[in-house]
Amino acid sequence: MPSPRHFQRGHASFPTAFDEPRPFKRSHLLVALALVLGVAAGAAHWWSTMHREAMVTTAIDLGSEAPVGTAIRSGLIDAAYARVQPSSTVPTDGLSRAPLTDDLLHEVKPLLGQAEARLIGIYQHIRQAEHRQALQAAEALVRDHPNFQLAQLVLGDLLTLQTRPVRTLGDVPDTSALAAADQLKALREESRRRLAALTERPPAGHLPRQFLSLAPQSRHAIAIDASRSRLYLFENLTPANTSEERAPDLRLIADYYISVGLQGIEKQVEGDKRTPLGVYYITSTLDPDKLPDLYGVGALPINYPNALDLQRGKTGSGIWLHGTPSNQFVRAPQASDGCVVLSNQDLSRILRTVQIRTTPVVIAERLEWVSPDGLDADRKDFAQALESWRQARSAGDEASLRALYSDRFRQSGKDLEQVWPRLAAELRNPRPIELKDTSLLKWRDTEETMVVTFGEVAAGQSRGVTRRQYWARENGQWKIFFEGNT
Amino acid sequence: MFTTERSTRSLQGPLLPLRRLSALAAVVAALSAPLGATAQTDAYAEVNRLVRAGQLNDALAKADQYLAGKPKDPQMRFLKGVIQTEGGKTADAIATFAKLTEDYPELPEPYNNLAVLYAGQSQFDKARAALEMAIRTNPSYATAHENLGDVYAKLASQAYSKALQLDANNTGAAPKLSLIRNLFAGGKSAVAPVAAPAEVAKAPSAAAPVTSAPAAPPAEPAKTAAAPAAAGNDAVEAAVQAWAKAWSSKDMKGYLGAYAPNFTPAGGQSRAAWESERRARIVPRNRIDVDIDDLKVSVDGNRAVARFSQAYRSDAVNVTSRKTLDMVRQGDRWLIVRESTGS
Repeated sequence: MPSPRHFQRGHASFPTAFDEPRPFKRSHLLVALALVLGVAAGAAHWWSTMHREAMVTTAIDLGSEAPVGTAIRSGLIDAAYARVQPSSTVPTDGLSRAPLTDDLLHEVKPLLGQAEARLIGIYQHIRQAEHRQALQAAEALVRDHPNFQLAQLVLGDLLTLQTRPVRTLGDVPDTSALAAADQLKALREESRRRLAALTERPPAGHLPRQFLSLAPQSRHAIAIDASRSRLYLFENLTPANTSEERAPDLRLIADYYISVGLQGIEKQVEGDKRTPLGVYYITSTLDPDKLPDLYGVGALPINYPNALDLQRGKTGSGIWLHGTPSNQFVRAPQASDGCVVLSNQDLSRILRTVQIRTTPVVIAERLEWVSPDGLDADRKDFAQALESWRQARSAGDEASLRALYSDRFRQSGKDLEQVWPRLAAELRNPRPIELKDTSLLKWRDTEETMVVTFGEVAAGQSRGVTRRQYWARENGQWKIFFEGNT
Repeated sequence: MFTTERSTRSLQGPLLPLRRLSALAAVVAALSAPLGATAQTDAYAEVNRLVRAGQLNDALAKADQYLAGKPKDPQMRFLKGVIQTEGGKTADAIATFAKLTEDYPELPEPYNNLAVLYAGQSQFDKARAALEMAIRTNPSYATAHENLGDVYAKLASQAYSKALQLDANNTGAAPKLSLIRNLFAGGKSAVAPVAAPAEVAKAPSAAAPVTSAPAAPPAEPAKTAAAPAAAGNDAVEAAVQAWAKAWSSKDMKGYLGAYAPNFTPAGGQSRAAWESERRARIVPRNRIDVDIDDLKVSVDGNRAVARFSQAYRSDAVNVTSRKTLDMVRQGDRWLIVRESTGS
């Protein structure tokens, strides 16, 4: 089989910069489209197959109108669109798979970071065979963000398309592909994940299943899906003075590309370059003027290692959400020392938006999205345990209370035996208490953990203390293994 | 097998195989200077012969000598740019071609060569812009298309290098683009270069229009306000002089006011488009001098024709041409209704 490049060269040597794209050109665009958008399907196997083939340059002859002309071409269109159809595998993450339509893009774009929205706009132009506009938009984007490497890659393809067919996203010369194989792979993966975020959407009104309830004081919440390189920022619209525990009313207000640790996720020990998984809170904000350039426009530390992490002997510290250095617009999907890295633009929005101490940050390998009703069972399952704790404490019932504490309780390095006298002392003058503004965040991995935050207010008082407890289910019973103030 | 760069105006024309600067000698040799026996074509042939012989200094001297007499001549100026390019005088060559694009924006070849020079300096964005102008001027201009392809490839390679954080200096040498060596090499008889530069200029640009005078030289109107009320030749002459004066002093109000409301711009332009083009041509100049010589006026009732020799000088241009203004009397003013060059 003749090298497609060779074959096509003859046709491509007369670029039609100002003409309407010629038919063969359009098919090239579709190839590019297939390559760019095809990966959005979540059809990872297709991507890897494609990728492999492209690397050995037997590259699917899609672009050449060689022997088969229109027959191939229409088949190509079908193929291109087939690839953006929902994948047939049954998802368990609760995301809805929708084909990439203009309506969908219109709906999603406002949530995206500005630069990503512009990148997606370029893909849209490509999809509609508007290659002139695509090229102009790509040039404008790299003018504004010269360090946006994926945009540069797409620009390179669009420029290349002026002279020859483009076989794959990042159709760089073979020498470059060899010299920077890892970079190229990472950029393609970044593109794939950004596109997947468009076609695999959380259904309206659904929320990550960790958020069983969220006090109105938590005005925002963050959920991170490491497998998709996405951060979802929510506004919490749960009304104040909700007496009954209920699912939080979360509105998705931003959907950003992020990077995690170079070695991935499930941080265990200091220096493992992994991002921790779990339920955290933002603890502070760091002054960018006092940070090295590496962190960009700022940093929001989270409380890793939390009580559960400490129970499990995890080590390390300094896990932040932070920005990017001045020479990099974003980082590859896996690139950090364990932090969650956003573009400076996107991080700025978060810095402007969220509150420290009250903003939960869920970091999951894969978020699971459910309808608010879908959380009722989990909440009820736990409600009884928390109510038992409230009653025992209100009544000063030390034995009942003690039964709710786990043998593995640890607090500031002390075990339950050491801590209990102090807890028991608090029962001496029992008064009825109420729990207000309860937040319940449930974390599931090898076991079930509940991170509970509430205001404890004694009867007759208007103010109380804010407590945070970590509960684990042990042999079917919820038990407290950490308790402290926030 | 070497086609000359020449025309390239026909879509069907074969792509020029000869694209590399280094092939200069061959190209020049292939140029057979098939022109007529006029003095001008002799001069071009002689300059080409000298270039062919590698006597660039002599060729340049010859070209300069010729240009002293015909400073606007686009063909010889073009040759001069080629000689400067060959002689490595890049800045001079850029200036020469840039002025040609200013004076004859409808010619694609100077844009092409400008692009060649920019690309040689790794100024690929400028090269691309110039080539896109060349193609806009003549969409079927194969050499420019090919050169643009090379520039795109280079720009793509730069973008890829940034994407992959490779050393951009490591992505190969600057592409060598094809230099065009003659403006109207073929025997485009009608277009005999010399004489009226404005005419020459437009001839090449495809089927295009009328007289849309390029940059400097063309026709320009006069101001009425200054024109005295009287009838007869004196009044018409005064109107013409007032027009030239308004033009020289960049008095756009007076200049545009010298044209009647029903003035028909050459080339089928709208009045508004014509006015804005005139503004764009006149306002930015530092200096404009328009002198009227040999003015002959014939009056027929309310109509008059003024014929004269117009010496136009601006920052970069110095050209004398024949001009005819058709005028009508409106009230006490003589206004221009038609302006033509070359007759």
